[in-house]
Amino acid sequence: MKYIFFCLLILVTLNAKAQHADTLSTDTSKTKKLKEVVVTATRTNKNLMQVPMPVTTISNKEIKNRGLVRLNEILNEQTGLSVLPDAHGQGIQIQGFSPDYTMIMLDGLPLIGRTTGILDLSRITTNNIEKIEIVKGPVSSLYGSEAMAGVINIISATPPIGTTGNVSVRYGTNKNADVSLNGAYATKRLSISGFANRYSSSGYTLVPESGSATVSPFYGYTLNGSLGYKFNDRTQIKFQVRDYTSTADNNFLVDNDRITGDGTEKTLSASAGLTHRFTDKFTGDVRLYHAGYSTKSLLINNTDNSVYDETFFDQNFNRAELQGDYKSINGLRFTGGVGGQDESVRATRYNDKKTFQSGYAYGQADWIPLKKLDVILGGRFDAHSVYRSQFSPKLAASYQFSDKFVLLASTGKGYKAPDFRQLYLNFNNAIVGYSVFGYEEAATELKKLQDQGQIQTILIDPATLQRLNAESSTAYNFGFRYKPFKGVMWTVNAFRNNIRDLIDSQPIAIKTNGQSVFSYFNIHDVYTQGAETDISYNFLTHWTVAGGMQYLEAYDQSVLDKIKAGQVFGTDQATRETIKVKKSQYGGLLNRSKYMANARIAYQDDKTGIITSIRAIYRGRYGFSDVDGNGIVNRDDEYVKGYVLFNASVSKLFLNNQLRLQVTGENIGNYKNPGAISNLAGRLIYAGVTYNFNKQ
Amino acid sequence: MNKFKTLALVLFSSTALLVTSCSKDNDNAPEPVKPVTLTVNTVADLDGTGRDVYYSLSKNAEVTGTDITSNKWDIKFTATSIFVNGGTSGTGTTQAQVVNNTFADLATAPTDGYKTDATGANAITGWYTYTAETAPQHAILPVPGKIIVIKTTDGKYAKLEMKSYYKGNPDTTTPTFADLATRPTSRFYTFRFAYQADGSTTLK
Repeated sequence: MKYIFFCLLILVTLNAKAQHADTLSTDTSKTKKLKEVVVTATRTNKNLMQVPMPVTTISNKEIKNRGLVRLNEILNEQTGLSVLPDAHGQGIQIQGFSPDYTMIMLDGLPLIGRTTGILDLSRITTNNIEKIEIVKGPVSSLYGSEAMAGVINIISATPPIGTTGNVSVRYGTNKNADVSLNGAYATKRLSISGFANRYSSSGYTLVPESGSATVSPFYGYTLNGSLGYKFNDRTQIKFQVRDYTSTADNNFLVDNDRITGDGTEKTLSASAGLTHRFTDKFTGDVRLYHAGYSTKSLLINNTDNSVYDETFFDQNFNRAELQGDYKSINGLRFTGGVGGQDESVRATRYNDKKTFQSGYAYGQADWIPLKKLDVILGGRFDAHSVYRSQFSPKLAASYQFSDKFVLLASTGKGYKAPDFRQLYLNFNNAIVGYSVFGYEEAATELKKLQDQGQIQTILIDPATLQRLNAESSTAYNFGFRYKPFKGVMWTVNAFRNNIRDLIDSQPIAIKTNGQSVFSYFNIHDVYTQGAETDISYNFLTHWTVAGGMQYLEAYDQSVLDKIKAGQVFGTDQATRETIKVKKSQYGGLLNRSKYMANARIAYQDDKTGIITSIRAIYRGRYGFSDVDGNGIVNRDDEYVKGYVLFNASVSKLFLNNQLRLQVTGENIGNYKNPGAISNLAGRLIYAGVTYNFNKQ
Repeated sequence: MNKFKTLALVLFSSTALLVTSCSKDNDNAPEPVKPVTLTVNTVADLDGTGRDVYYSLSKNAEVTGTDITSNKWDIKFTATSIFVNGGTSGTGTTQAQVVNNTFADLATAPTDGYKTDATGANAITGWYTYTAETAPQHAILPVPGKIIVIKTTDGKYAKLEMKSYYKGNPDTTTPTFADLATRPTSRFYTFRFAYQADGSTTLK
């Protein structure tokens, strides 16, 4: 059946391949660039054409040319990725996985700060990056928990020799302003660089009659400093510190009461790394990493000046890691590492400070037995103080039929540890009266309620609860990279993810007020499968056309089983009669579009300094809600309609490319869907200026 | 390969459906005419605001006055709870269970699996969902495919499907319903039921 996908995909030609856009460089030199090297998929430098997993890269130049300043903006234009809005930010969906299942890294180190699973991508500036690497499919064999759908690695720019600096400003609709100031100094041995970025907006309101903003006004600062020193050819050291602080000015209506107050979010990360090349064959790395994430909010009811809500969340993450890389003769390369982590969290809805300890070891053999064949076998073992140990193996291979055509296949296991909520939440809803307890708290908290006489019936005895297991997946990816002739790059990847033990809440007791007590269980088995393709074509020196699409199916296996057994019912939209739901009516998991596509046309003329592109991003309809009370999507009115966004940008370079003026339009068609899509604010127009203090 | 399997399954099951539905028609045609003992009724907007409503399925009527302490009623509506006349809820021996099916497809009542009411464990549960924070917010919506099968005190079988908890059986997908200010009054029950007077389990 995969072949039919392929044929379908072949028919659809237009496609985007970001790394290819490098030809859109501002360099006037026509020299062919070296083969592109990627690092994220194997933790070693590897030729992109050869790496046996699906990898996409987005260059800094491409991001700048498109006038995009935050990570969510650039990722939303990539094939197979969709940016999902949530009360806690904008996350990324890869191969049909929710945002919780993609690891976001900065220079190979994981970013933290997921209060409800989403790591808000708009927190992350695209300033001072060299490129973004996106690996699809599980990479838990190297990175452990969270790297289940894939990994997005943001790679910082290395400053060129000399003193350099630039300032860059983008301003537009909703008083959205992004200002960056970069400075760096580098010699052959020493490099020092730093930047400051301010990102702010007056927010916007999609439903004015509600009296509440969809996105409240906010401002955020990112400060980043890096220091690198090469002692000699063999030894180098690197430090990096990054701080991000964002403040939102909340102001909304609840039952005619005006609620106001600030919410702040802070992340601080610091890393130190030492690399030493012992011999030509053996290199060792030591890395130390600390990351902190905290949020705080105090909301006041202005009617009576009472405290409406006060919350905080404090998370700390520390890691020490040792990695070795050994290249033997016979085309064999071993990479391995060990590490230890210490994590803690304190938050409003948790009883007290919670701590985790974990240790891990990983190993990978990269073998080139034949000149054209590359086989990678690896695995990682994670031992954890709270949940069960995990082993994540991986096997991948690529075969280069020629310089132009490479076939790749990989299989591996991914996992995601239970999150803090699932383990430690202690929440009693004061208004409705239900309670939710994390797995670790369920027994004691239920006992407390029982002693208080609040429990009517116990549905599941906490003593019989199984220890909460990590969610895990087995994935298969299969595809090719093909350069049929000069200027054309075409990639295809088909995927299947079998996901087990998805965690969901379920009632464990009924309270005397008729409400339930919930806790978390490994309940669902789901799968996602589909295929994606990307194609790009450079022609007539200045032009690029590109396009991509993804076909996706994502279903809950137990629902499919129940449908098969004739046990799933719904209500017909027209007659309002009860009907048996058929497989064809089942829309699968919420928020997954069966079809997504994008197309791009770009023009660059180095003589005149004009760079422009128009991009179209299509997101097919997706299930959004359950209207007829059966818990699944099965009716047309349970979907959000498909839509197309048009983005465009025009730049003109002046003064030997030192000055860039730019106009960027996002969502030029002004598409909005206030009830369902909170991150589409309507048409956004920005003007940008970048000035480089040095000659380019 | 999996797609093939699913495709085959879908094809197979739809063919099977076609075949079975045809054969049913064929069976029905030559059947001798029996006296009609099955009555199908739809009750619209039974008003339960601020009170309990007692209902007799055999009479298709509300039961009031002192009769509510007798065996004359079969089911009682109290807000979102439906009680049967038996166990902790009444003097009778009415029993019930909830089965997954459509009203039309449920041809015979199950012979076992019935329960009567007990404290904290009513015979009839799970007929509705409470939407809480999801739209339409704070609404009581009947779960499709939950058919309540009742065995009355005098051993008669009935099947019952809840249609609405709101006055006028409104379309719950409209903005009018979503808005709590314009949502019709709750505790107005609309349901349909089929009552078999001959004591058999035939409900069709």
